[in-house]
Amino acid sequence: MASLKRSVDSDPLAANISNKIYVRSTKSGKVQKIVREVYLRQDIPCSSRLCQRCQTVAPKDASGKLIPFVLSDSPAGTKVFPQGHYLVPDTNAFLTAMDLFEQDSAFYDVIVLQIVLEELRNRSLPLYNRLISLTKSEDKRFYVFFNEFRLETHVPRLEGETVNDRNDRAVRKAVAWYGEHLARIKGKDVPAIVMLSNDRDNLRKAKQEGINACSLADYVKQLKDGEKLLDMIPETQDQDNIKEKRPGDNLYPEYFSMSKMMTGVKNNLLHQGIFNVSPYNYLEGSIRVPAFPKALLILGRENINRAVDGDLVVVEVLPKDQWKEPSTQVIEEDAITKNENPDAEESDDFVSEKERKALQEEVKRTHSKTTEGHAQPTARVVGVIKRNWRQYVGHIDQSSVSQSAQQGRKQDSVFVIPMDKKIPKIRLRTRQVSELLGKRILVTIDAWDRSSRHPSGHFVRSLGELETKAAETEALLLEYDVQYRPFPKTVLDCLPKEGHDWKVPQSLEDPGWKDRQDLRDLLICSIDPIGCQDIDDALHSRPLPNGNFEVGVHIADVSHFVKPGNAMDAEASIRGTTVYLVDKRIDMLPMLLGTDLCSLKPYVERYAFSVIWEMTPDADVVGSRFTKSVIKSREAFSYEQAQLRVDDSSQQDDLTKSIRTLLDLSKKLKQKRLDAGALSLSSPEVKVQMESETSDPIDVKTKVHLDTMSLVEEFMLLANTSVARRIYEAFPQTAILRRHGAPPKTNFDELANQLKVKRGLDLSVESSRALADSLDRCVDEKEPFFNTLVRIMATRCMMSAEYFCSGTQAYPEFRHYGLASEIYTHFTSPIRRYADLMAHRQLAAAIEYEAIHPSTRSRGKLEAVCKNINVRHRNAQLAGRASIAYYVGQALRGKATEEDGFVMKIFSNGFVVLVPRFGIESLIRLRDLAEVEPQAEFDAETYTLQTSGSREVKVELFQKVRVRVTDQKDETTGKRGVKMELVRTY
Amino acid sequence: MPLDTSTYGLALLRVDGRRWNELRRIYAQIRTQAAADGSSYLEMGHTKVMCVVTGPSEPGPRRGAGISSAGGAGGGGGGAGGQSKDAEVVVNIVIAGFSSVDRKRRGRSDKRTLEMQSTLANTLAATLHTHLFPHSQITISLHVLSQDGSLLAALINAATLACVDAGIPMTDYVTACTAGSTSTYAANDEGADPLLDLNHQEEQELPGLTVATLGESDRVVALVCESRVQISRLEGMLAVGVDGCKQVREILDQVIKAQGQKMILEGTVDKGTGLNDMDLD
Repeated sequence: MASLKRSVDSDPLAANISNKIYVRSTKSGKVQKIVREVYLRQDIPCSSRLCQRCQTVAPKDASGKLIPFVLSDSPAGTKVFPQGHYLVPDTNAFLTAMDLFEQDSAFYDVIVLQIVLEELRNRSLPLYNRLISLTKSEDKRFYVFFNEFRLETHVPRLEGETVNDRNDRAVRKAVAWYGEHLARIKGKDVPAIVMLSNDRDNLRKAKQEGINACSLADYVKQLKDGEKLLDMIPETQDQDNIKEKRPGDNLYPEYFSMSKMMTGVKNNLLHQGIFNVSPYNYLEGSIRVPAFPKALLILGRENINRAVDGDLVVVEVLPKDQWKEPSTQVIEEDAITKNENPDAEESDDFVSEKERKALQEEVKRTHSKTTEGHAQPTARVVGVIKRNWRQYVGHIDQSSVSQSAQQGRKQDSVFVIPMDKKIPKIRLRTRQVSELLGKRILVTIDAWDRSSRHPSGHFVRSLGELETKAAETEALLLEYDVQYRPFPKTVLDCLPKEGHDWKVPQSLEDPGWKDRQDLRDLLICSIDPIGCQDIDDALHSRPLPNGNFEVGVHIADVSHFVKPGNAMDAEASIRGTTVYLVDKRIDMLPMLLGTDLCSLKPYVERYAFSVIWEMTPDADVVGSRFTKSVIKSREAFSYEQAQLRVDDSSQQDDLTKSIRTLLDLSKKLKQKRLDAGALSLSSPEVKVQMESETSDPIDVKTKVHLDTMSLVEEFMLLANTSVARRIYEAFPQTAILRRHGAPPKTNFDELANQLKVKRGLDLSVESSRALADSLDRCVDEKEPFFNTLVRIMATRCMMSAEYFCSGTQAYPEFRHYGLASEIYTHFTSPIRRYADLMAHRQLAAAIEYEAIHPSTRSRGKLEAVCKNINVRHRNAQLAGRASIAYYVGQALRGKATEEDGFVMKIFSNGFVVLVPRFGIESLIRLRDLAEVEPQAEFDAETYTLQTSGSREVKVELFQKVRVRVTDQKDETTGKRGVKMELVRTY
Repeated sequence: MPLDTSTYGLALLRVDGRRWNELRRIYAQIRTQAAADGSSYLEMGHTKVMCVVTGPSEPGPRRGAGISSAGGAGGGGGGAGGQSKDAEVVVNIVIAGFSSVDRKRRGRSDKRTLEMQSTLANTLAATLHTHLFPHSQITISLHVLSQDGSLLAALINAATLACVDAGIPMTDYVTACTAGSTSTYAANDEGADPLLDLNHQEEQELPGLTVATLGESDRVVALVCESRVQISRLEGMLAVGVDGCKQVREILDQVIKAQGQKMILEGTVDKGTGLNDMDLD
C-alpha cells in the first residue's frame, strides 16, 4: 500500500454534518426510527471531462488510484439542445422506462443522482440492479452523483414536506447545481443539463426555477429515431387525468390496504401465497397457503382480481355457500396440482396454532368430502404483495387491430397474446402496428387498473417474424429466462491469452504441473453422442497384477481455467448450465474453453481431474483416489462407434479390450445399483433429424439405447458418488450435493389405483426397491411399450432432484431416491454445469491440491448458488423440451401421418394420448371427435369414456389407439403445435 | 432506506458520505461528573458513551458483575483479588435499553458485554500503573447511551479520558478505533479498500476489527476481530486502524489540554504545582 496517511486538507472536523432521519417498518410490523449521520463535503466531482476544477479534488482510493471521469466532453445534442446535453432522470423515469435507457441508439451521458438510485432501490431491486450494471458499462457513460453528500446539493426536508416532494426538490437542486457548475467552465460551449421526469408538478416547478426539463415523451421526440423509442414509454402516465374523470366504472374490486392485509394475514383471516394459473383454464387459479394442505381455488375474473401468474398475493377464503362443487372437468384441478409450486414464501409463524388447526380441520373435512361430490374451498384475491411481472414474449392479436391503424402512424391500442397461456392478454399502445403485425415481440406489463379489463403494457423490442427459426428460438430463450447474450468482454478477458494455441506446458517444472499426475501413457478414450464438442469425460481401465482392475474416470479440469470470483466465474454461476436446444447450444462457458481447452479432445494433452479406483472383477471398489492429472485421450468415440468396436470380435487391440472390460464392469455395477433399489425411469425421448445444409428438421427418431451409453453412465454415477462422499467428509457443512427426495406416497395413489383397476397390477411404493420391482412386473405380453408407459407415468409422480448445500439438510435427507444412493453430487460435467465446477473446487481443496476459496465455503453464497442452479437447470430442461416440441411440429409441418398412441390420462371431456414415435402427447377433446360434440359417459371408477351420438367409441386408460398426427398453428398463442385426431381404437 | 455498502465502488463514498480514511466526528469532554474521581463523555459519530472512574480505593464487597483484571477470573475469584499487590481494575459496562434502534434490555450476564468488559479490563490494566496502588481497586463504570458502531473503541477512548481525569498514573493514552474493508469476505475482492472507523451499518455488512494502540507509538495493546476476512486484507486494515488511533490520540490530547488550561485559568489548580511544563497555547 502506497500510503495510509490521511491528507491534511480533508479534516473530518471541518466537514459539515447533517443527519438523515427516517422511519422504516420491519417485517414483523415494528416501526423503527433510524438516525444516520451524513457528512457533507465539497470534493465530490461532477465527473465531466470538461471540468478541470473537479479533477483536482477527485477522490483516490486506498492504493492512490483515481476513478476516471465518466461524462463525455462532447455529448450528443438533440434538436433543442444542439450544444450537447447531460441527462438527469428522476426516479419515475427509471421506474417506467428502464428499457429506454438500455438502448444503444440514445441515452448516453446520464447523471444518476444518489437520491434517485436510493428511491429506485426501494421501489424495485431488479431495476436497481439493471441501473447499476448500466453505470458499470463503459460505453453508456452513466455517472452516479452522490448529491446527498455534496454540501451544495444536500437538501434537508422542510416541515410538512412529503418525502416525494423533498426528493423532487433534491433532484431539481442537483440539476441546477450542475448547470451553474458547468457554466463556470470558460471558453467552451457547455452541455445543457436536462432533467427527465414524467411528474407534471415536478416539470412545472422546474420550469419556474429556470431548469431545462422534459417529459420522457417530449425528450424522445427530439431524438433521431424517436418514433420507435416512443413506444417504449409506458402510457399509464397519460391516463392519470382520464382515470380521475370516471372513477365510477371500475371492473375490479379495490385492493385492501397493506396494513389491513398484514393484520389479516397475521390473524389468519387472510392467506398469503403465490398465485398460479391453471394452464388449461386461464380463469381458474390456485394458491397454496401454509395453513391448508391443498391449494385453494380462485375462480373467475373478479375473484382473480388482476393477479397474474407468479404474483405474491393475499386471498380471503370465500363463505361456504360459495365453495364450488368440484366440476366433472377434472382436467383443470389435475393440471393445477401438477404445476404446483410449493415454494410458498414468507410463511407466517405468528398464527395461533389453535386457530390454524380449526381452520385446517374445516378445509380438510371439505377436501375429503370432495371425492364424494361436495364443494371445495374457494378464495378471492384481496391484494397483491409483490408483482412478479417479467418481460413476456407474444404477438399482436390480428383481430384486435383496427383497419386504420394498419396504415397510419397514429397511436393505437392492440392486444398482445403472450406465448405463455397463463398470462392474460396485454393491452399495448403503439404507433407501429403495421410493422409489428406477424412478429414475435417482447412486451412488459406496466399496470393493471381497476377500470381496465386487461393489463396495459408497452413494447420492448421485436424478435422477428413469427415462425422464423431465429425469432422462435429467441422467444423460447426469453420465456425460459436463458441468458443467451454473447459473453461480455470482461468475461472473455479471463480466458488464457494464448487462445486456441494454449497447450499443456512441456516442462514438468511449470507451475501448471504442480501436484499433477502424469497419466499421458494410459489408454484413455472418450465416448459421447455423435458430434459432441464439449467432451467432459474420458475413461480408461487396465488389469492390475493382482487380478483386479484399475479404472479411471477423467473429467475436464475446468476449475483450472475458471478461477473463483472472477468475471467468468460470475457469469457461469448466473448461467448455471449449458442449454441444449435442437439446433443451438447456449454455453455456460466461452467456446474457447468449452469446446477446446477444457474439452478432452483426442490426440492432444489436456488437464484433467481424475478419479481412479481399484476394482475387483466383480466390480467391488477396493480403493479410490482423486488426483489432478494430465491425460492424452487416444480416441473420441461416438456411442455407436464404440458399440461396433466392442461387438466386432476381430478387434483385439488394447484399447478395445479395455472398453470391453469397462463394459463388463459397468454391467455389474448397474446390477448392483438395481439390487439396491435404483429406479430405471423413462421419459419419451426423441431426436430431431436435421437436413445438414439448411438445418431444417426432416424427421424425428426415437433414441436407441446402446450398452455403451450405460457404460459411460455407470462410471459417471460411480464417480459422482465417490466424489460426493469425499467432499462431504472434507466439508460437512458446505459440500455441494444433489438429492432426490422420496415422493410422498399419495403421489402414486392414482397410478396405483389405475393399474389395479385396469390391469390388476399392484404398485408398491414403500421403498424405491419395492417400486422398482413392482415396475418390473408391470408388463403386458402383447404390448411391449406398456412397461415404458407405466414408467413414464411413474416418473411424473416423482419429485425433482435438487442441488443443496450439505449443511442445510440432515444426513438421511441427502438420499438420492432414483439412484438409490445415500449421497450424490454432480462432478462429471463441469463444462456444462456449474454445480460440477463447484464440486471440482471443493474436491481440489479436499485433496489439498489448493486452498479453498472463501466463496466455495461460505454457506450463504453456496445456498444462493444452489437456488439459482436449481432454477436454471429446470428452465434449461423445459427450454430443451420446448425446442424439441417446436421442431417436431416443424418436422411434421404439412404432413399428416397415422401413428400408434396410448391413452395415458382420461377425463370426462377428453383424453390424453402419447405417441411414442414422436415423444409427444396431446389432448383429444370430445368435441374433436366429430363435427357435433358426442355425448359421453365417463366412468371414473374404471377410467372409461363411452361416447354416444355423433360418434360411438369407447376409450379406456392404457389403451392403444390409432391417431392421425398433423401440425396446427394455435391461433391464440401463435405457437405451432401438434394436433391429434382419433382414427380408431384397437 | 438509504443505499448499502456495495455502492462504495461507484464514487469511493461510504454510506454516510465519508472517504475510506476518514474518522467520524469525535466530541469528548472530561470531568463531567463533579462528584466522581474521574469522568468523561465521548461521542464518535452517533456512538455516545459516558465513563466514571472510582478509585484507586479500598476494595469494597465484591459484586459479581464487574470483570476484573487481576487474578484473571471475574466473579467468584475467591475474594483474594483485593489483597493482591497490584490494584485491581474492575470494568462495568451498562448498555442502556434505549441505545440502539430496538429497545432491548440486556442482562448483566450478556456475553457480548462480558467480553467487552474483560477486553477493557485487560487493556487498561496493562497501561495503568497498578503496582503503585497495592490492595486497592479501580472501578471503571461505562454507560452506553447510544450505539452506532465502533462501540468497543469508544469505550476504550472514554475510559482513557476518565482515567486521566482521575489522575491515575498511566504509561500513555490508550486510544482505539475500528477498521474494516469495503467488500464482504465472500466477495473476495482483491482490490477492496480498507475503511476507517465503521458505523453500525458498515459493521453489520462488512468485515471489521477494533484496534487500540499506546500513545503515539505503533504498539498495539488490544486487537479484536470477530469477522471473517482474507489475511491479505488484514494488513491494510490494521495499518489504517493504527493510523486512526493516532488521530484519535491527537483529538483526546486536545480535549485534555483544553480542560487543563481551563482549570488553570479558573484557578482550580495552581500553575506552579508540577504543571510547569504544560503547554498552555
